[in-house]
Amino acid sequence: MPIGDAPPLVRPIVGRANRPAITSHRGRARWERLAPYLLIAPAVLVIVLFRLWPLLLGVNFSFTGDGDRNGTPVGLDNYTDLWNDPVFRIALRNVGLLVLLLPVAVAIPGLLATFIFLRVPGNRLYRTVYFFPAVLSPVIIGSIFNLLLAYDGPLNELLQTAGLGSVDWLGDPKVAIFTVVGVHIWATFGMALVVFLAGFATLDTTLLDAARSDGASLPQVIWHVIVPGLSRTIQFVFVTTMIGMLTSMFGLLYVMTSGGPGGSTYLPEYYIWIQQGQMNRPALASAASTVLFLVMLVVGLAQIGLLRKAGRED
Amino acid sequence: MKQRSMWLAVLVAALVMAGCGSATGTGSNSGDTSGKLVVWDWKSGDKTAASYVEKAKADFAKAHPGVTVEFVAQPFDQYYTLLGAAIQAGKGPDVILFNGGGQIRDRVSSLLPLDEYVAKDKQRLAGWEAFATGGKTYAAPVTLQGHPIYYNKALYKKAGLDPEKPATTWSGLAGDCAAITKASGASCFAVGNKEGAGIQFFMSGLGSGILTPPEYDNWIAGKRDWQSPNVKRIFQLWKEANDTGLNNQGANSTALFTDAFTVFQSSKAAHMIGLMSDIGHWKDFNEFLGADNVGVMPALVITSGATPSLPYDGGIGYGVAKWTKDPALAADLVRSLTSTEALRAFYTGAGAIVSDTTVDTSGSGPAAAKIVSQLKTGKPALHVALSAKTQELMGRLSQQLLSGSVSVDDTVTQLAAADKTS
Repeated sequence: MPIGDAPPLVRPIVGRANRPAITSHRGRARWERLAPYLLIAPAVLVIVLFRLWPLLLGVNFSFTGDGDRNGTPVGLDNYTDLWNDPVFRIALRNVGLLVLLLPVAVAIPGLLATFIFLRVPGNRLYRTVYFFPAVLSPVIIGSIFNLLLAYDGPLNELLQTAGLGSVDWLGDPKVAIFTVVGVHIWATFGMALVVFLAGFATLDTTLLDAARSDGASLPQVIWHVIVPGLSRTIQFVFVTTMIGMLTSMFGLLYVMTSGGPGGSTYLPEYYIWIQQGQMNRPALASAASTVLFLVMLVVGLAQIGLLRKAGRED
Repeated sequence: MKQRSMWLAVLVAALVMAGCGSATGTGSNSGDTSGKLVVWDWKSGDKTAASYVEKAKADFAKAHPGVTVEFVAQPFDQYYTLLGAAIQAGKGPDVILFNGGGQIRDRVSSLLPLDEYVAKDKQRLAGWEAFATGGKTYAAPVTLQGHPIYYNKALYKKAGLDPEKPATTWSGLAGDCAAITKASGASCFAVGNKEGAGIQFFMSGLGSGILTPPEYDNWIAGKRDWQSPNVKRIFQLWKEANDTGLNNQGANSTALFTDAFTVFQSSKAAHMIGLMSDIGHWKDFNEFLGADNVGVMPALVITSGATPSLPYDGGIGYGVAKWTKDPALAADLVRSLTSTEALRAFYTGAGAIVSDTTVDTSGSGPAAAKIVSQLKTGKPALHVALSAKTQELMGRLSQQLLSGSVSVDDTVTQLAAADKTS
């Protein structure tokens, strides 16, 4: 477990540094020893009270029943229910799909940032335009795309005039999840783009000039100069994009597909909401939350490991 | 490291073994001070319900002048989530608005049986069954909700059909629709199944013409034979209607609330299984299409021996929370909320078909008159008898049926299993 190697977050360094050689005032010495703990107490209390305690309660609830069995311990029944629920399995499968789609979600802002950096014509305009969706709320974006992607909407009309058939973007179970993820990437890549641009600012331009005067083509410049120079930025964008995908797609799902068609666009978050709010099964929702928490924990630990490795390379 | 994982294991084990506490609170008593009653709903914020709330408040104030009543209007799409949180905390509103059927039946453990308080209203109001379970009544009905088949008379005329003589059989309807689509390009049905609710309307709207009367009554009584040919026929027709192009395109991505209603209101579809109250009903349609152009037809006779009837239940109704301090007082408020005066105001303001059968509904156009005339012979709607869980599964399967990823046999087998366990 990599966390174990980390230095303790808070060290009572104050007491040690200021400890006088002769402890004439015992009270003061004790105060100084205790002061750091006292000072971090509010923060620790807030975390314990509002983070850890509810977390434990939630895990605890997941081992109790719903409805008639409210409050009685049921062991792992909720987890068996979850495993047997095809919708929850779809939700987990969709998480896997998101992980697979992650490189695409990172490559798009990366490529666009590269073009801006290489000063393609109109790059100033693009910089603004690309960032624009990032300031819109998911509900607004969802509504806009609901109109655009409706079966008799403008996109399908365009496809038809081009001689291609209509696609039921949000109504076809095979297509819908990709549509929603696509819209999510469109809505959020602006932020990653900005991070990439910041990364470019640290890039050594003499290397680029050298590559160019040596006659390197654009793909060669990107692959051999820009990508290695930006490795840390790319890793950072990977981490933040993954977190964004796992935690902030609820709004889009809610507005665009409601988890459908046929449950094909469920994600764990949406599943939890449905079970708690619509199905009146809070204990099952707690179990699903616990599973989501564990998934996030694994992903998070993997990411911490990645970041630390990247840090060591420097 | 070892020690830590051991602690973790101990913690997990303790939680699994203990599993104490509960996710929905233990129903501890709390509630508000007796001088105040809090009502939760999603209606009182509407302009159309303003005079209803006013009338109900006035009626209640006559009997209890010292008690203040506070209406808290919640957004509907969050309503049951918020209510779930209140139930979890074991405190919250005293009087709660519910949809009839699964939504209230799933939550009766937090509600007070009202039978002793509302006995006098039993005759005057209709639609009690949707708020009752296990022989006890948990809410008093405010509106009646049902699923009449509306049709657009203007489109019938355009296609050269007699708008006063709509089809009575499936093939007859298909023939009429072919003519309508040819004349105006409108589809036969306006269907929205994005939320998975389209199948519910379809099942209840057409069910009385598909199931035989004994089958229908058994279904409502809880004896449901999902494998019977007539039940399968419902799902076959649902698929067939879409496959043969009777529905508007993209039914799975069209929201029933309210895109599908818009399709019907803008004359892009000739028929729609709609609602009687709230929205998507005769009053909305009258406004868009003109009262004379809105028709209501009985369910088509699809199985010989079936007798079409209007499917309806109690729509919304007020219940009393278990944790309220003075149950009699809260029940009195429920009675005020279902008084004839208040319900008349709700009918005039919102166009809801109210539970009080003594409210005069003449003068609201032919569609409303037709609906009210069918109330006497009407029966509870098929889908309302199902649990929320079965309805949710049915919604999901109905989408898969339309997209061709599940068979009818598979659908009814899965639904039978879900229906059994819930």
